[in-house]
Amino acid sequence: MNNTNRALNRGVVFVAGLVLLAVAALLGLIATQVTLQNGWASVTGRIGATADGWLQATPLGATQNSWIWIVVLAVLLAVVGLLLRFIVRQGNGHSAHLISEQTTNWGNTEVDSAVAEQALQNALGQRPEFLSTRVSTYRVAREAVLKVSVTCRRGTSPTDVLRIVEQALLALDELLGLRLPALLQISGGFRVRTSRSTRIR
Amino acid sequence: MTDVAMTATYGRISRRELHSPRSTAAIAVAVVAILVCCWLGTEIVLRLIDQPALLATPADLAAGVASASMVPTPVLGAITAGCALLGLGLVIVAVTPGRRARHLIDSERMVTVVDDEVIASALAGRAARVSGIDPDSTRVSISRRLATVHVVPTSGQPVQRDSVDQAVRAQLDGLKLRPTLQTRVVVAVGGRVGA
Repeated sequence: MNNTNRALNRGVVFVAGLVLLAVAALLGLIATQVTLQNGWASVTGRIGATADGWLQATPLGATQNSWIWIVVLAVLLAVVGLLLRFIVRQGNGHSAHLISEQTTNWGNTEVDSAVAEQALQNALGQRPEFLSTRVSTYRVAREAVLKVSVTCRRGTSPTDVLRIVEQALLALDELLGLRLPALLQISGGFRVRTSRSTRIR
Repeated sequence: MTDVAMTATYGRISRRELHSPRSTAAIAVAVVAILVCCWLGTEIVLRLIDQPALLATPADLAAGVASASMVPTPVLGAITAGCALLGLGLVIVAVTPGRRARHLIDSERMVTVVDDEVIASALAGRAARVSGIDPDSTRVSISRRLATVHVVPTSGQPVQRDSVDQAVRAQLDGLKLRPTLQTRVVVAVGGRVGA
């Protein structure tokens, strides 16, 4: 329902997995192949010498340090910033506006999400079948979509929940004069057990 | 909103509600990467201002990587196995569909997703009423296409398997789940006394 970039999520996880697998393959080869061990030592030696050369050749002002370190630091900071943005973007997509329509040439009509949310909440809140209801608004493909989450008591038939919520939604459609797309999520929870029934035979 | 657009939106919503976003794994990977980057950055800064390193200077790190072939084989093997297992786990998480334990209910006005445990508890209640036993003596497990109802009868009161099966199937037909569930009723051989 939210606009989390799921392909990106899977991509990040996939790339991390591939990197780890590649490291494992490399280490495994080094551990088992004797010829590779010598090769590894010479290759890393050569790379180390090259890097040393670069560090010597790029002095930072009068100090003994190289400005390459500054570049590396900047790259690390940029990577951290990107990753933080990636984390913060998870689960976004709530919307405070339900409808925004240009009704006349001089202005437009805006309806806040709170209108629909409170109307539905009032209609569903007092139902004894429901332990809790939550109504929220998301934006999916630039359209406002209502999400109704219902936690119901143990043994409640989903058909009944569906019927009750559908009636409330149709009433809301009537009130607003248009059909908003909606999602109903029916869940149980740890609190769904009713008290144990006592039977007399 | 036109009907076509509505159908497309509903398709997208139901697809996303039935599958895991893999956020947990992605955030975990990102956090580890951030920690590693911060640590490397700190070591570089410490080197630039000539302070002792936290764990290892950049030069130590480079030397450590270069001498990977000198590390004793058991240690190297353990690191390799750890990396391989973790990497394989991440690749599997990234590639598998990650279905949530939920089903869709066909209805015209809205998309409805229902947790499998809600379906299970409704079926359990129905099975208990039909067979005349306590709801706690029924257990229902639901997979994507199969609902299995386990019934433990009260001793001395046999349970008709077929009638339970029929009642459960009738209720499932009424739910109009997608994908549809087959039913299987298992009546325990032993009974429960006084339940």
